[in-house]
Amino acid sequence: MAVDESGRPYAHPLYDTLDHFPGLSLATTSLDRLLSWSATNSLWIFPMATSCCAIEFMTSAANRVDIDQMGAVIRPTPRHCDVMVVAGTITVKMAPRVKKLWEQMPEPKWCIAMGSCAISGDFYRDIYSVIPGIDTVVPVDVYIPGCPPNADQVLVGLKRLQEKVELHRRGLVPARDGRPEHDKMIDPAIGRVTDADRDASTTEQQLAASRDLGLGGNSRRASDTPSSRQGGVDEEAT
Amino acid sequence: MGSSTSHGAAPPPPAPTRDVRPLRMRVNPFLDIDQYDPEADLMALNMGPQHPSTHGVFRIKLFIDGEVVVKAVPYPGYLHRGVEKLCEKLTFAQLVPIVDKHDYVAPMTNEQAIVRVVEEALKIEVPRRARVLRTILAELQRIASHLLWLGTFTLDIGGTIGGGASVMMYTFRERELILDLFEMLTGARFHYNTHTPGGNRHDVPVGWPERVKKVCDVIAARLPEYTAACTDNDVFDLRSRGVGVIDAATALELGLSGPNLRASGVDHDLRRDAPYHAYDEVGVNVAVATDGDCWARYIVRMAEMEESLRIVRLLIDDIPQGPITALKPVKLHTQIKVPAGQHYAAIDTPRGELGTYLIGGGAEKGAAAFRLKIRPPSLHAMAALPWILPGNTVSDVVAILGSLDPIMGEVDR
Amino acid sequence: MAALDADTWAALRGAFPSALPIDADPSGPVVPVDLHVAVARFLKESLGFTMYVTVVASHWPQADGSDRFEVATVLRRPSNPSVTAAWRLQIGPEAEVPTLFPLFAGADWQEREQFDLVGVRFTGHPDLRRLMMPEDWEGHPLRKSYAIDTPHPPWR
Ligand code: SF4
Repeated sequence: MAVDESGRPYAHPLYDTLDHFPGLSLATTSLDRLLSWSATNSLWIFPMATSCCAIEFMTSAANRVDIDQMGAVIRPTPRHCDVMVVAGTITVKMAPRVKKLWEQMPEPKWCIAMGSCAISGDFYRDIYSVIPGIDTVVPVDVYIPGCPPNADQVLVGLKRLQEKVELHRRGLVPARDGRPEHDKMIDPAIGRVTDADRDASTTEQQLAASRDLGLGGNSRRASDTPSSRQGGVDEEAT
Repeated sequence: MGSSTSHGAAPPPPAPTRDVRPLRMRVNPFLDIDQYDPEADLMALNMGPQHPSTHGVFRIKLFIDGEVVVKAVPYPGYLHRGVEKLCEKLTFAQLVPIVDKHDYVAPMTNEQAIVRVVEEALKIEVPRRARVLRTILAELQRIASHLLWLGTFTLDIGGTIGGGASVMMYTFRERELILDLFEMLTGARFHYNTHTPGGNRHDVPVGWPERVKKVCDVIAARLPEYTAACTDNDVFDLRSRGVGVIDAATALELGLSGPNLRASGVDHDLRRDAPYHAYDEVGVNVAVATDGDCWARYIVRMAEMEESLRIVRLLIDDIPQGPITALKPVKLHTQIKVPAGQHYAAIDTPRGELGTYLIGGGAEKGAAAFRLKIRPPSLHAMAALPWILPGNTVSDVVAILGSLDPIMGEVDR
Repeated sequence: MAALDADTWAALRGAFPSALPIDADPSGPVVPVDLHVAVARFLKESLGFTMYVTVVASHWPQADGSDRFEVATVLRRPSNPSVTAAWRLQIGPEAEVPTLFPLFAGADWQEREQFDLVGVRFTGHPDLRRLMMPEDWEGHPLRKSYAIDTPHPPWR
């Protein structure tokens, strides 16, 4: 959903309550920041774990790497989750299920493609039963390359996604629904993104936006200027 | 058993036991569900393909009467990556990294299985140094694989966010130690690509044997912790004892192998009965249990870990000197050619008999296989499900599935 | 490894003297299709090959454009030492062989897989459906005439 006339990047029932009390714009701005902060730091992960990358994903949830330190919770049900991590090869038989599960996730939602298979099909790319990359089925936000990526790279990918979620929460990146670039790429005849149409420009733009904001490293603190923390007007969000 | 009758006392009343006839005689996996008792509380329940306890992507359609399964129809194939077709296009030197991805919990043994059939077909004598190193790697891999199995199995029967997760945390801690050893040797955490027809690619780095010994000590010291957490745990006992019994005759008929077969009381292990690598030098004490239930499969795997530790410690001290590969370095990967002819070779992986059936004489004058069939132990274990599941409750389905240790990459290939 | 060791071959020749060739083929003897079940039964019940290992079907396109198929079956004796026994069937374009399901429960899935991927029909199989590919899939991927990158819209 795009930014509506009230200037809010997303809907939340708390806004309705606050609207009954005029003069609380200060509070809504703080609420923005609170929700943005909480959404960024508590991503619930739905593991679409199919093959070898899934084992490495499990390792990232185990004690040495410990994905919990990012506030991430792994829940094996799509209805509770914000992020789908596609870890493994997706076959023709599985792809409709992936799409269905993706559709069951509530908005706003994100997708991480973990491993070469999910990114491009790896060396199974040209085989009759494997789809050439999960981004031909669902839109992908972050790619983690590797076969398999090391468990700690999952954390790096998640960090990237958190930056993106923060940008989205502030309305700097349009949400996926109604994201024109993606819709444009969908071939109406087959209802999915064709391989040839894929391009990296969207991601480039977002990365550029992220750099401009100085979100490259530790996103939250870099942008949390003292004035905004004291409740001043947040130019970036409005 | 016979003692009470020999003393002339009244025989104890027969316990309300389960049907002990062989599965083949009492279960009909092709039961026509329309003919089932119309009064029954019949329901069809789909489990999978994306279900956290199916160890990958696997779907079972369960017909349940109340809480009891009356028919189970598994649907594999959600991870079918067409590897056998790909193997007809690639040369033998290129196959090794491909087969890594089948049994992705034990990639080391996958590589050994495929290079063994090529060595067998070409009658290549592998140098002793490579054979000993392969034995060590296979046994370390067995420990790592069984550790992962134990973690996920306890997770299955203990719930996702419950007490069950603690054993998984312990086993992953130890598994990481072994993956570190492999990383030191090959540079990869898994998908090693370290075997090649005729020998190994990566020689033993300095300090590696000492580190292996240290890791063995750590794991040996921690195995009792698992016994304390599982064997002595009443819940674990109740959830696994007497659940999912497979009798020996049916297990053999189904082609079950490895720990699953040995848990059914068949004393058969390829490492001892058809030795390869350096197993004839060390001798293998095969762990066998007789009950054929989830508990027996657990006991067998725990005993195998001890035995693997023994073998590794035995061999690590004197890895023989000498070359590590029998072939000269190949300049062209098409250099290895297998002429027409059919070969079957198998090794015992942590999951059982991983065989490769190779028909030589394919493309490029035999540089690729004409047809290559992988015989995956997990597929046979999964084929047992329609036979074991009827008569068990829905909650036991998860325990049984977990206890068979299936890896879907291997089932579907 | 020869597909059959000498003792097994001698016993098998003794049981089916007229149907089998004199010399053992190192790739496994070719057995007439109508003896398939009898050979399997003899190996299982008389020689102790009780463990079902695998069945491999392969497609051999001929120069004249016709199809031939070969079906190899492997059994194992779970003793010490353990040996395998393999034999082959050669069939024409009708691609039909009798099932081994009544003897070996494991033949169920293995034969379904070979039917799915190679397209050999196993007559008498109680439930011959596709195993790996979706039920509505067209063609048999492991035939030599099947291109490896066959598209399957809309997914690939
Ligand atoms: S990218 Fe590599 S490790 Fe990951 S699923 Fe694919 S083959 Fe397996």
